[in-house]
Parts: sequence; structure tokens; C-alpha cells
Amino acid sequence: MSFVPKTAPFSGKINAVTLGTGDKAIVIGGQNVLPFYTFDAAIENAPKVGVEISDVADTWDVPGLVDFYAGCTTMADRAKKAEELPGCDFIALNFVSADPNGANRSVEECVADAKAVADAIAKPIVVLGCKNVEKDADLFTKMSEALAGKNVLFMSAKNENYKTVGASVVLANGQKVGAETADDINLAKQLNIMLKGLNVNPEAVVMDIGTAAVGYGYEYAASTLDRIRLAALQQSDADLQMPIMALVCNDVWGVKESTASEEDEPAWGCREERAISMEVATAAADLTGGADAVVLRHPASVAAIQKFIAELI
Amino acid sequence: MPKVIFQIEGATSVEITCQAGDNLLELARRANVAIDAPCSGNGSCGKCRVKLLEGELETIPSRHINDEEFETGWRLSCNCKVVGDCTVFVPDIASAYQSRMKTADLSSPQELAIFESCQNRLRESGIVFENSFRAVVVEMAEPTLDDTMPDNERLTWAVQEALDVANVKIPFGVMVKLASVLRENNFRICVKGELQGDTFLCMELSNPDDTTIVGCAIDIGTTTVTMVLTDLTTGKLLAKGSSGNGQIRFGADVINRIIQQGKDGGKKKLQDAIIKETLNPIIVNLCKTADISARSILRLCVAANTTMNHLFVGVDAEPVRMEPYIPSFFGWEDLTAGDLKLPANPLAPVLIAPNIGSYVGGDITAGALAAGLWDRDEMSLFIDLGTNGEIVFGNRDFMMSCACSAGPAFEGGDISCGMRATDGAVEAVTIDKHTMEPTLTIVGEPGQKPVGICGSGIIDVISELFRCGIINAKGLFVREGERVLRDTHNMGRFVLATAQESETGREISINEVDIDNFIRAKGAIFSAIDTMLSAVDMTVDMIDTVYVAGGIGSGINMKNSVNIGMLPDVELEKYQYIGNSSLTGAYAMVMSDAAAAKCAEVGANMTYLELSTHPGYMDAFVAACFLPHTDASLFPSSVQEM
Repeated sequence: MSFVPKTAPFSGKINAVTLGTGDKAIVIGGQNVLPFYTFDAAIENAPKVGVEISDVADTWDVPGLVDFYAGCTTMADRAKKAEELPGCDFIALNFVSADPNGANRSVEECVADAKAVADAIAKPIVVLGCKNVEKDADLFTKMSEALAGKNVLFMSAKNENYKTVGASVVLANGQKVGAETADDINLAKQLNIMLKGLNVNPEAVVMDIGTAAVGYGYEYAASTLDRIRLAALQQSDADLQMPIMALVCNDVWGVKESTASEEDEPAWGCREERAISMEVATAAADLTGGADAVVLRHPASVAAIQKFIAELI
Repeated sequence: MPKVIFQIEGATSVEITCQAGDNLLELARRANVAIDAPCSGNGSCGKCRVKLLEGELETIPSRHINDEEFETGWRLSCNCKVVGDCTVFVPDIASAYQSRMKTADLSSPQELAIFESCQNRLRESGIVFENSFRAVVVEMAEPTLDDTMPDNERLTWAVQEALDVANVKIPFGVMVKLASVLRENNFRICVKGELQGDTFLCMELSNPDDTTIVGCAIDIGTTTVTMVLTDLTTGKLLAKGSSGNGQIRFGADVINRIIQQGKDGGKKKLQDAIIKETLNPIIVNLCKTADISARSILRLCVAANTTMNHLFVGVDAEPVRMEPYIPSFFGWEDLTAGDLKLPANPLAPVLIAPNIGSYVGGDITAGALAAGLWDRDEMSLFIDLGTNGEIVFGNRDFMMSCACSAGPAFEGGDISCGMRATDGAVEAVTIDKHTMEPTLTIVGEPGQKPVGICGSGIIDVISELFRCGIINAKGLFVREGERVLRDTHNMGRFVLATAQESETGREISINEVDIDNFIRAKGAIFSAIDTMLSAVDMTVDMIDTVYVAGGIGSGINMKNSVNIGMLPDVELEKYQYIGNSSLTGAYAMVMSDAAAAKCAEVGANMTYLELSTHPGYMDAFVAACFLPHTDASLFPSSVQEM
């Protein structure tokens, strides 16, 4: 008698959420097993990788990034370039400069940029806000209207603005919405319940449960990921079965391993390599913990993570 | 020196001279003018409002006083410095907390019935209501030139014969009055004292008609003090009374009090506030009502939380507040009324219901004794709702207890229009789900207009707002209507009474910040229950009875409390309100040696679960800070109708 391995898929299943349209559309989630547990059941949709295009990308001074985007002047230029990158599944537009406490760029300018990108590329778009709850609510409302029909994911609705964001992004314009909370399974679930209360279809929700650069309290992010995924699969908790997207780029490029110059920290070696290492290590940890998609900045990180996923699936 | 006149609404004015720069609230305390200041003068609660009538005060602006009110003279007394002569008006509501606070002090027939049934339950559990205190009338032959036995031997012989004891102890305090009492009563007197094995300790001598011996049971709460006098022979209640805890002016919660007692001379101040200012007047009053002499009080029992116990006996309470939170004592024997200068027989023992942790005190052991969960096979949950929520779970085989900090929300603190349950407090609310019109029940005489909202009212409002779909599970307003208003920061509030409808001319409403504060308070209570149950691997359906105790309990609507996820979702019939169980327990201990011994046993057998160091507590707390709960399956009967 031959050996038949015992498989253990869960009864709970992660929602499959489609982003984008046409043949470049992607699906995240949909599995009923732990990350990369292909021996328990087939994982139909491999984890996806997005490339960050920031509206302040012209300030990026890492040589690899400068070289890669050489000649690009607009977000659309950069997005076109990034779209061609092997391993890039979607483009994440990061509107850092909309922050009223920063450059405070107008909603109209941001919308125009997003529109230009949407016209230029075919791959799905994810929009990252500036983290100011009021500005984001306004930005997402206008942008979701302008990008109607593109099936864009807006990251993210928070406790403070979920009503406006949920209503405009999903109910009015049929796009997808992120639900952002800070490293707490209960807060994540509460926001999902409130979005549901707004009549937002759970299949239109992707979670940002908070992450951290490795070494910066990452154990909180790790345990939150673990618990949410187990609640979704093991306990079939429908309020936690949304796929998870980790905005790795936002966390890793601001820590001192990525920012300290070689003059200041000669013992640490090349700054760019450090930053890539942080990005790859964090993304790999997120994916093995349960994230269904990661957003990365550096082309080298994208390549490494693409290889990582391909070898495990 | 500046002179300040406090014009107190409904009372005589008080005048005091002071130094320029003195804080107005502290000055009021010095002048014994009662101004309710739950936050102890931090400027955070906004309850110490007074109105400047004449003169000037240097004032720090406060978010609790708007420009219009400031123009008309309203100030927070804690934010004011005296700069010269002035007259301030102290509104009735600022001092009402002390005189008309609604407390569970056995003044209503329902409370008395609850009290009786608790005593009966103890009897059924085999607690014999007997004590060792006796009053015996003895008659002695008068001495003559032939019968030369001294007074003390004469008394000893008589008592030995009357009570069949080997020894009789006559302490100094009794000895000094022996000669005169004997002669005034022609050698027929009543001896009151305690049987200690084969020895009788004489504690008091009186005329032969005065044979009443009295026990005094005291519940010292952080906010209120209640007391009963009982006949130690028959168990009959002789008198009962209550008042606000005089320590309130040193802060609303135990932490503020501990900080105050740590200051120079603070221990003495706080002990005086509780004994001299609070307990002594009540005891004197009750003795007058019962027509007994204070020296006939032969035994006292105090049930109080750990901090109150420390402040009562004048022992440093600082360790209660500091890690690792070890109090100076759990139980204490051999304390007498004389030690504490209480108006009672100086030899009278003062029993202290034992503490079992820094935040689970004698009020809980006494309460658990009274609830009787120690004698049942079924699992019971005992909840004492107050500034601190204390919880006991178990049965005859084991008992666990824990405490959580619910904050002052149940007593109206931390709530913009919150108040304690005195006249004018909204104590119950229903809301029409279609029109969103509220119907209020108000403490006080019929026709009383609302002044603010107390704990039970807040539970009702939030439950009703949630049921009617006016707020969402996070407590944010999601329905619009006439009653739902928003301020410039877009913060929503629900108007219970407009400025015209209220007693004070200020709108009475509950806003999103209030609701958030309250959700935290209820979350603290439920997560403590949840954590304790899971610590013993049990679930709410294993609970047979839920005993709810505490001052706010009498008015609390259990269905609404379940609806908002504060109390576990079990059949409403399982809920039993047991009133001031701490006082009931203290009464049993005074009356019965067996009950006192049982209380010590209950205390010793109770396991204390320290929640602050429990790994799952924070998580359970966040999960419970949602209406009704993040895990809705825990509250199947909670409904949102709209």
C-alpha cells in the first residue's frame, strides 16, 4: 500500500478579491490553507506583489531607484516603467504629498495624476492615501469617481473615516476598499463589522492590519497576522476572511537601516543593500505569516520576492 | 487679607478669609463648603462649577465653561485663584452629592426585603446567628459593716453565678465607674460584655432597665458610607443611615486618595475625614434615633475596599498603589473602637472584613459571604459595580476574584452631563425608534426637571441609542435627526433635554466622547468576567446565578446591560440584585461569630487573579470595547432594531 499523505485544508476560506480589469486583472486570497501550505490544498492565487510609485519619487536618492526610473518625470512615466518589471502584479500609487501637514497637494492634482496613470497602464491600481483621515476621505471620494470602472483598491478606510470612504469608494463607485487598523485582531474585526453595517460587501474589502519593519516591534505584526489568519480559517470567522495586503514599502524605507548613510554607519555597509534586505526580509515574513499581497519599492526586492513566491507555490 | 463669601444655594452663606493666590476649591474645602469635585481639582471633570457674583477671580479657561457661561460668571472652582474680596454662588447640584445621594442603605422596603432574604439564605446555609456578647442583670447584696466584700469581688461573684463562668475581667474603664453605678442602682445593675471561653469581660455597666447591647455594621464605600445598628441579642435593626464619604473632597477614586494621604499630614486628614466627619456623626445620630448610649455598642464590623480599610485605620496605603501592589494587611484582629476613637464602647472589637488583594477588599469578602455563593454547588457570578468593578466566580469548591478599573463612569464621572444619583439625575431612558424621542425617568419629586444623567441612565441611553440604530457598534452617531446634533469638530451628541427642558438651563446630552468613555467602562467589566471565566476554562452558560451588587445596581436595567455587552448574556431570570451586599455581610459578621469566621474563611479560600499582569486581559478588553462585543456570538440577545 502506498503512502497517502493526510491533507488538512480548513473549512474557512479567504475571500477572493479581484483587482483591476481585463486580462491583467488579479485575484488575491481565495485559499483555505495556511500560507504556502500547498500540500494541504492547491493555492489557486499565489500572493501578489505590487510596486510602489510615490508622488515624491523624485526625492528618492538610492542609486538603484534613480537608475531604474531614469528619464521618468511623472507618476505615469514611472508606473509604465514599473509595470514592465518582471514580478510586478499591480501598481500602488502613494500620494504622500497630499498630506495637509506636509506639501498639502490639492485633491484635483492628485486625481489628475491617478487618471494619467490609469490611462497609461493596464495592470491593476492600488491607491495609498496620505494618512490624514479627512484628506484621505476627500481624496478617495474624488479619485474613486474619476477612476470609475477600473476596479481600483483604495488603502485605506480607518475607524475615523470608514463611513465616507466606504460609501464613496464601494457603494457609489464600485471600487475596492482597504480596512486599516493597528496591529490588533479585535480592532480589525470591528472595522470590518462596521463596513458591513454600511452595506459594503465583504468581498470588496482588503485588510491592512498594520505591519512593521522587521526588528521594529515586528512580533506584534506577526502575532496579529497569525491570529487573524487562524480565526479566518480555523474558526471560519467571516468578519476576518478578507485578504490582507501589507504595505511593506511604507515601513521599511523610513527606518535607520534604510536611511543612515555609509559615512554615518561605515560598519553597516552599502545603504541600498541594507534597505533592500529590510524590504525583502519584512515582505517574506509578512507573506509567510499570512499576507496575500505586499507592496514593495525596490526592483531588486520585487525580483527576490517574486522568486521566493515562485519557489514555494 | 481677601475675604471670600460662599453663597450656598438653599443654605446659609459661609465667609472665610484667605491669602491672595489661594485656590478656590481648596478654600471651599477649608471652609467645609461641599463642592463635588470627582477629579479632585484636576480641572478634568468640570463638576465643581460655581458662579462669581461679586469681585474677581483669576481663572484659567476651561473647555467645560463656554464663553457665554464665562460672561455670566460661571467658573470651575478648581481653576480659580483668589485675588481679592469676592462672593461666589455655590449651586445646589454642586453639594447635593453629600446630602441626597441615592444609596442602597435599606431605606426602601425592597432593599429591606433583599436584606432579609440574604440573612435567611445565610441561616439556610447553616450560619448560626449567635454571638458571645451578653447583657445580664445581676443583683448583689449591698455591703454592710459585716459584709465587707469590695465592689469588684461582689460583681465578680454575681457574674460568675449568673453566667456560669470561672473568671470575670473588670478592665480599668469599667472599674472607675463601678462604685457609682452600683450605688446609684442599689446594687442591681446590668452588666454588658463578652464571653471569652470561661471568662467574662465586663465592658459596660448600666441601670437594670437598659439591657440593650448593640452591634454596628458599617460599609465604607469610596463614594458613600452606610451603616446599621442592630440589637446583638435579637438581631433586630435599631437604626440605619448613610452619607457621602467625607474623603470625597480629596478625590473621587482610591488612587487620588492614596496620593493625598501620602502628603504631609495626609493620613491624619483622610482618617479624620472618614472617622470624625463621616462615621461619628452617623453613629451619634443613629444612637439618638435608637435611643441607646454609644457605650452599648459592643462590636463593630467594617466592610470596605482595601484602600478604605487602610485609610480608616490610618495605615499607609501607598503600597496598594505601587507595584507589586501588596497592602499592609489583609485581615486584622484585636482592633478596638478605642484605638480609632469611634463613638462606641472603647473596648468594642472592630472586625475588619478581610481584604484579599490590593483591589479586592473586605467589601467583596463580606459581599461574597452575603451572596452565599460559597455554599452552592452551582456556579455563581458575583459582580460589585462601582468605581472599581469587583468580580467573584465560583461555588462551594472554589472561588476566584478579580478587580477591574471601570473608572467613574458608573457614578457619572468622565461623562459631560454625568452626575451621581441625586435629585435631578436621569436614571432611566427609553427612546422611540421611529421618532427618536426620549422618555426620561428622573430621581426626585414628581415634576423634578433633569439636571444630569447618572450611571443607570447612561446604560439605558446607550442601549437605546444602539437598539434604535442611532449609534453604531463603536458608539458613533450614524442616524440624523432633530435630537442628534454635531459640534464644530463634527462630534455627534444626542440631546436628552434641551436647555429649556433642564433644571439648570444647560442642555443635557450625551456625546461620542461620553459614549466612548462608557464603552471602555463596560468593556472593563465584561472583559474581566470573560478573562476570569476563561482562566478556569468555563463559559457563561455554566453560570447559574449572577448576583449584582452595588449602589448603582438598584436602578440598573439588566436587559439593557446585556444589550450593550456589559453583563453576560444569560437568561434575565438568572440575574439577582442583592443591593448593598457589603453591608449585609458586615451585619451578619456583627451578629454572628460563625459568619465572622466564615467570612475569614471565604477570604482565605478566594484566589485573586491580577488582571493587569494577565496576558489575555488587554485583548479581551479591546474585544469588549464594542457594542455589544467584537464576538457577537457572545450576545445573541443583543438587538439593533433599526
